[in-house]
Amino acid sequence: MTNYLVKRLLQVIPTLLGITLITFLIIQLAPGNPATLRLQMAGQGEMGQSGMAAEIIEQTKKLYGLDKPLPVQYLLWVKRVFTFDFGTSFKDHRPVSDKILERLPITIQLNAISIFLVYLIAVPFGVYSATHVDSTTDRLLTLFFFLLYSLPSFWVAVLLIMFFGGGDFWDVFPVYGISSIGAESRPFLFWLIDRLWHLILPVTCLTYGGLAYLSRLTRAEMLEVIREDYIRTARAKGLSERAVIFRHALRNALLPIITLLAFLLPAMFGGSVIIESIFSIPGMGQLGFEAVLSRDYPVIMAITTISALLTLIGLLLSDILYAVMDPRIKLD
Amino acid sequence: MFSFSALAGLLLRRALCLLVIVPLACTGYKAGSPINKDWLINHLSAEPSTLNPITSTDAYASTINDYIYESLLKRDEKTMELVPVLADSWEIADDHLTYTFHLKKNIHWHDGHPFTAKDILFSFERIRDPKVDSAHLRNYYQDIEELEIIDDYTVRYHYRIPYFRALEFCGGIPIVPSHLFSQDEDFNRSPIGRRPLGTGPFRFLHWDTGKEIVLVRNEDYWGEKPHLERIVFKIITDSTVALQVLKKGGLDLMSLRPIQWVKQTNSERFNKNFTKLKYYLPSYSYIGWNMRRPLFSDYRARQAMTMLLNREAILKELLFDLGTIVTGNFYINSPAYDHSIKPFHYDPARAVSLLKEVGWEDRDQDGILDKDGVPFSFEFLISAGSKFAEQLATILQENLKQAGIRMNIRKLEWAVFIQNIQQHEFDACTLAWSLSWEADPFQLWHSSQAEKGSNFVGFKNEEADRIIETARQEFDPEKRNRLYRRFHQIIHQEQPYTFLFTTEALVAVNRRFQNVQVYRMGLAPREWWATEEQTE
Repeated sequence: MTNYLVKRLLQVIPTLLGITLITFLIIQLAPGNPATLRLQMAGQGEMGQSGMAAEIIEQTKKLYGLDKPLPVQYLLWVKRVFTFDFGTSFKDHRPVSDKILERLPITIQLNAISIFLVYLIAVPFGVYSATHVDSTTDRLLTLFFFLLYSLPSFWVAVLLIMFFGGGDFWDVFPVYGISSIGAESRPFLFWLIDRLWHLILPVTCLTYGGLAYLSRLTRAEMLEVIREDYIRTARAKGLSERAVIFRHALRNALLPIITLLAFLLPAMFGGSVIIESIFSIPGMGQLGFEAVLSRDYPVIMAITTISALLTLIGLLLSDILYAVMDPRIKLD
Repeated sequence: MFSFSALAGLLLRRALCLLVIVPLACTGYKAGSPINKDWLINHLSAEPSTLNPITSTDAYASTINDYIYESLLKRDEKTMELVPVLADSWEIADDHLTYTFHLKKNIHWHDGHPFTAKDILFSFERIRDPKVDSAHLRNYYQDIEELEIIDDYTVRYHYRIPYFRALEFCGGIPIVPSHLFSQDEDFNRSPIGRRPLGTGPFRFLHWDTGKEIVLVRNEDYWGEKPHLERIVFKIITDSTVALQVLKKGGLDLMSLRPIQWVKQTNSERFNKNFTKLKYYLPSYSYIGWNMRRPLFSDYRARQAMTMLLNREAILKELLFDLGTIVTGNFYINSPAYDHSIKPFHYDPARAVSLLKEVGWEDRDQDGILDKDGVPFSFEFLISAGSKFAEQLATILQENLKQAGIRMNIRKLEWAVFIQNIQQHEFDACTLAWSLSWEADPFQLWHSSQAEKGSNFVGFKNEEADRIIETARQEFDPEKRNRLYRRFHQIIHQEQPYTFLFTTEALVAVNRRFQNVQVYRMGLAPREWWATEEQTE
């Protein structure tokens, strides 16, 4: 087991380097460059007499370190990353790590709550569908979840805002941001309730789409397990149906579903651009999206590297979880 | 002078020639005495990247910094003349090469430190420092030979060549407090970008990333103190949501999209609480024809293209008539604009005969014009994300098809779009420019800017070059405008662009504010106040 762990951990390093190298090349070779964009994105700000003068763009490139050959730039980047220094953003010259840390808490809150809700709702319905397989309720549930799945989240978000956000209908929920003005200085309970109140609409949008997949998965896994011999044995022993389903069947059916949890690690880190933009939530999705549009290389590289690292760790965890939970699997 | 602006995010506005006082005297709103504790909640559709006035490039930052920072002079909203701010007075040498500014002596930064000539020198040096991310500003100050500090309260700029906008540039220099910086510090990373500190009527209070930026009145302000106690900038990225927040009373001021202006803000309740204002600001949209391409090298072909586009219909259908068709590169309400020039009307028949003059005819009867066996076919570049550009392109495509011209639409992401244009890899494209009050056509239209500058369509005209050069050193506005009106005629004749529209800026303001005036360059919320009865 220890040998296996060491081996897997060592494999992470070249994989990660490979991922970063490919990302680096893709973003550097993609058309458009940050120096030009910075001058042209000026919007209503004025530009000098020579405007797009090549000389000025060269100066800015040099300032950003983009004048060096690509291999040199990549090696310099790798060197810095080994000391956990992701550099500074081209956009505002703030350390990339600060920008990420500033946005990470809210993204984790959103994702944690919505993923928890997906499991909380989808798994019981999946079990119900499996135990009442092909019944009308099973079919209706499936239909319902797939209907939800097919609704585009931006459309649902706008509808929710229109109906519950105090337009011309009910004024129940706040429609932007994640807390009220000055909530930080109020008692913790107040802050918590205020925060949850703000999160209800965005979390709803992030959650409903995930229900279909997980409930179908639970249903399929359950159906497979229910046909197993040990379930028949359990029934033969005279156990109650409840005990059979929950103690014997569900536990085994949940195995693959729990290992799915390993993928949660990177999922927690990524944000949803659409939901964040509609609800004005300063999360990771917006940060990454804007970085790509403005060719903010250090930020793009940092986000991809961290996501890649989390995915690799997640995969490792999922393999370990398998071994821990299923004695038939041995890692060596 | 000019800057690229995506059509998408652009608020095109017109200034009114006369000062317009917006009628706010409605029943139920008595104008009482101003109170000094009201807040203005303003809308920002995106967050500025930094509030450092020397390294920032976006319009959001300059909107906010206008309340915090001041310069030696500014353009007065009412008279459009340059008036002293931090300077007490200035002298301009007869040869227009030296500008001497005498500073006011009672000015303090928000932290109490006195403002002196050292701050100006420091700011000037930072702008010219290649290690500072200020390339966008550096150009303005390239013709300055030296900034001389005569004493703590007198500075003198020495120019190499006379230039009619020099006073505006050297007097409008962004100034940062030099005492907050140490010698070996990286200026780009200075905390001042997140916590600006100036001399202006409002001081910075806090910036909550992605949520809000709050300014509070500077109680020690040297000039006339504003009535507003705070100005809050709420960052709401979706404009539908922002309008809803406005209706709920969570915003006092926001820009409206044309569809919101026409369809979503007409209820009685809305009009009881909000005034809708529209005004023009200097900018225009256009279609640029790449004059290096044989298709568009002849002015008759370009004129024909303009005549084939039904601009009247587009203005009516797509922009709800909230704008006007323009014919040239100057701001429509500035004296440089020649109003005797009338836009080419939609005239397919005339266009076809013009194209025939150039040699384009449908000889092989396939429905497409051809010349020397080559069909008239080209690519129209638009920036993804601009809905207007997309609709415009579709209409243009349809209009051209009827005249036997094949146009393919190519949609590119902004970064790629800009790159293609800069490398002159396009046939035609659509974009918008925003202008300043006094414009210098050099950057866009001088032949020297055709290779590497903003003259990306490749416009070269000897007379135009001469006019541009003469006008740059012409200090009499009357004479300069006469030159520019001639320039306008050349541009109209040559049609390097099909000039489209200057559209109106549309805003909604809460009715509790008094003294809401529309100036030629927009609104000035720092002058607003609310009265006792209305805030209760």
